Amino acid sequence: MTTPSTPPALEITDLKFSYQPGQAWTVNVSSLTIAAGEQMLLTGGSGSGKSTLLQLIAGLLEPTRGRVLVAGESVFDAAGASRDKLRGRRLGMIFQTFNLLQGFTALENVMASLAFAGTPPKDQRPRAAEALASLGLSDINRPVEAMSVGQQQRVAVARAVVTNPALVLADEPTASLDPENAAAAMTLIQQSCKARGAALLCVSHDPAMADRFALRRSISSLADH
Amino acid sequence: MAMTDFVIITRSMRARRFSTLLTALSVSVAVALLLTLLMMKDAGRAAFERGSGNVHMIVGRDGTPLQSLLNSVYYAGIPRNPIRWAEFEKIRDAHAPEVPMPPGIQPGFAVPIQLGDSFQGLPVVATTEAFFTRFEPVAGRPFEFAAGEKFKENFQAVLGSRAARDTGLRVGDKFNVTHGSGMNGHVHDEFEFTVVGVLKDTGSAHDRAIFTNLTSSWLLHALDRLEREHGHDHGHEGHEHGPDGECLHGPEISEADLTDADRLITGVLLRTPTREGRDASAAMATVFTALRSDTSLTVAQPSQEINRLFAIVGAVDKILIAMASVVLAGSAVSILLAMYGSMDLRRRQVAILRVLGCSKGRIFSLVLTEAAIIGVIGSVVGIVLAFAAGPLIALVMRRQLGLFIDPVLPPDLTLLTMVGVIVLAALAGLLPAVMAYRTPVANNLKPLG
Repeated sequence: MTTPSTPPALEITDLKFSYQPGQAWTVNVSSLTIAAGEQMLLTGGSGSGKSTLLQLIAGLLEPTRGRVLVAGESVFDAAGASRDKLRGRRLGMIFQTFNLLQGFTALENVMASLAFAGTPPKDQRPRAAEALASLGLSDINRPVEAMSVGQQQRVAVARAVVTNPALVLADEPTASLDPENAAAAMTLIQQSCKARGAALLCVSHDPAMADRFALRRSISSLADH
Repeated sequence: MAMTDFVIITRSMRARRFSTLLTALSVSVAVALLLTLLMMKDAGRAAFERGSGNVHMIVGRDGTPLQSLLNSVYYAGIPRNPIRWAEFEKIRDAHAPEVPMPPGIQPGFAVPIQLGDSFQGLPVVATTEAFFTRFEPVAGRPFEFAAGEKFKENFQAVLGSRAARDTGLRVGDKFNVTHGSGMNGHVHDEFEFTVVGVLKDTGSAHDRAIFTNLTSSWLLHALDRLEREHGHDHGHEGHEHGPDGECLHGPEISEADLTDADRLITGVLLRTPTREGRDASAAMATVFTALRSDTSLTVAQPSQEINRLFAIVGAVDKILIAMASVVLAGSAVSILLAMYGSMDLRRRQVAILRVLGCSKGRIFSLVLTEAAIIGVIGSVVGIVLAFAAGPLIALVMRRQLGLFIDPVLPPDLTLLTMVGVIVLAALAGLLPAVMAYRTPVANNLKPLG
């Protein structure tokens, strides 16, 4: 549960980024705030900078300027390993192709997320097993490459939320799914985030997603002109 | 089990199990090769030191002392320049007299040997009974008989263990010796030798020799001399011949027919009398100097000559070890190539780990540790292979060459090799680790294809 003193899950101020100096901004966000536990859909066409924005929020790219706070912690004030730790503790990420660790079992994929978030070793296995069970996965000791797409999706969601992050970033999570499965996957993601109290920022160019989110923004509307 | 770095590395290796296994195998083969060579290097020397046993010096008339050693102990060739019996007696009486020794003095010995004949390519060594009673092929371990006993009469023979195996001769069997060392020389068919004993294995060159007594050999060669002198096989008068002219009697020659020109030997195995509990080197030095006063003689001290020989052969050892080291370096390159070749798959994994909160430094360490683990696996398997190969090679060398080797892996050298291989493997992982460290995350999270 959040309280009035709980900082926003995400607070962006005057964020600018371009891949080459002097070029037009790939990301230009004057301000964006997502309160704790809120779920927002960010739309935009291909090449509009949606995914790049998520990389910036995760601290995987350096902005040209600007400020990003995740759960009140400044991403860019932390450097190196500290920023990596912040990402592990405060953020979860879900990708279109799941990006699971090959050679690892479902359980180990989720445990890896807990390990980098600083969870004590003795708690890793039970927490990972519980997260997978809550998403209806029982055969958790199978290598992920031997699992169906639906099962892999659940592993990816469990991995993103198991650390109880402040914010989950979902990058086109349903782009490769048919409408029926896309809807099911989105329901899974949204419910999991809600259950864990995590805010969700989902980027998608799929118009069918709009109805699922009360908060919707177009990336172009975030820019200061 | 918690998700430790070790688990992450082993899972990463599992994802590329075929390439990991092949790489570890190439490392293990290189390690096994290197250790086996190191093991054989020392074992080979030890095997070579067998044979000269309790001999202090070998006296001959060869070109060099090393030649004397090789001819008289390892039967590597036939000496061309003989020593007359009178000379032998002079050496024996001066340096290893057969007289009672005062208390505290161990008697020496002078055992004459003569080389020049062979049987089925195996050297025939003409000597005296003292060869079996005084000379020890391995110090402290005298000859032992597997069957029969030493020769007591002329034209009796004792076979070394391997000579018995190779020829198939047993006690009671008869054979004729051939002049020279080859298979096609003149066969001394006038006299038959009877096998009276077979020696046990000694792990030395003596195992592939056939021993007869000196007088027999002198009689054989005296007969040849007589034939040459008279232009006739031997005296045909006064005895019967068969229908084809063959003689119907044994050769007519006796010890009374022997002259000084027949009583020749080719080497002397010499041990000087020594004071019990004292180093014999001082006495040996005196004898060595005295013998060398006759410049026509060569005097070899086995230990010194073996050192000299291994100083020459050592260069070959060094080449072999250098080659094994190159193979080892090659296996390090194979680690580098295998890890480099898997970088495409690894980049995605690195990007995922980074998203989960893994730092760049930890990524670097994970890749480096993975390379080191391949080194650990390769070196452990290599050591096991070398342990297994050692006794196998010893068995083959014993059966095929009659050499007794005792392959031992020195623990310090084994540990040093293992540490070296792990360091080498980690160094090979350096470039892939740097590449992993610098992997751009965003590009490697995109959908494939």
